[in-house]
Amino acid sequence: MSAIDVSTVGAIPRSSADEMYQEAADTYGAALERLARAYEADADLRRDLLQEIHVALWRSFQGFDGRCSLRTWIYRVAHNVGASHVIRQRRTQLQTLVGLEELENLPDMNSGHAAADRGHTLDRLLSLIQRLKPIDRHVILSYLEGLDAASVGEITGLSPANVATKIHRIKTVLARWFQQGEVRS
Amino acid sequence: MKETLDNSQQVWQSQPVEGTKMSAEAIRLRAGKFERRIARRNLRESIIALGVIALFCYYLATSGEWIYRVTWGLFILGMAWTVINLHRKGSPRSMHSDLGSASCLEFFCAELERQRDLIENVWPWHLGPLLPGYLALNVAYVIGPHRLALWVGLAFLNAVFVASFVVIWKVNQKAARCLQRSIDELRARETSS
Repeated sequence: MSAIDVSTVGAIPRSSADEMYQEAADTYGAALERLARAYEADADLRRDLLQEIHVALWRSFQGFDGRCSLRTWIYRVAHNVGASHVIRQRRTQLQTLVGLEELENLPDMNSGHAAADRGHTLDRLLSLIQRLKPIDRHVILSYLEGLDAASVGEITGLSPANVATKIHRIKTVLARWFQQGEVRS
Repeated sequence: MKETLDNSQQVWQSQPVEGTKMSAEAIRLRAGKFERRIARRNLRESIIALGVIALFCYYLATSGEWIYRVTWGLFILGMAWTVINLHRKGSPRSMHSDLGSASCLEFFCAELERQRDLIENVWPWHLGPLLPGYLALNVAYVIGPHRLALWVGLAFLNAVFVASFVVIWKVNQKAARCLQRSIDELRARETSS
């Protein structure tokens, strides 16, 4: 997926880290931006979060040892910064976020609106994602980015069976939400 | 069904993005700003404690009796210990260097465990360091001139002190239990196959 040479094992010199960062930003910049959107609804805070992800990514490459794929590394860094952001923003209200299991039984918060246009569909999708606990958020974002179950497991640390169960739940929830939107429109 | 699922991925991946890019130089500048912002935030968080330390320093400087000097000195040391530990253990570590080597589950569990450990054991770093000063203050009252007003004041102070300690301890215990539930839930996911 990337043209970056990751054969070197061990600490990466700063200049190489700069190059790796630039390549990573070129290849995954859009995905990182979408990811930041899923972790922060406020535009100003989201810009800060995105920059924080970029800084964390640049720094992380100095310790990149090639033991996992570059894509896995990038997504781990981005998701872990996102999770830190969630913890910081909701230090005491972490329990207000729900898991995929509970989400299946929750009503659509935007059920009063028609879901005719793509923009609104995206808003509904974002509102759904932003209600999820960090680990479930990692899984649904990875799924939406089109990553396969093995990659999701490597990034999140969940077992393959657990990932498969979660992706099945995600598909069910998304199908229900999208069907609701289509019926209303 | 298939079409609906593809739709969600398509909607997600085709959303407009600003194409934010940062040069290596801009990243370095941003990293420096970020560190300064964390330092300022830490300073803000400890500003009350620093104010109290300043007040104790004033008492220490103006107090005539040795026992009160000892008392304020112990309070200053206790507060300083608390502030140092609050920064060392309590500040959210926004800029880990190992963000890519830990899976999301490991990272999230470690963050929650760190916070749990911090609030579960408030005695060694938060409440305990204030006890020597508090005991010295009691001694100062006991060996000082015995007046009824002083004893009433001491009894009131003790009641407030003990009540504050118990409330802080209980609130932290409750928060630690909440965090533990989240950690247990995550660990269960990690081990479930």
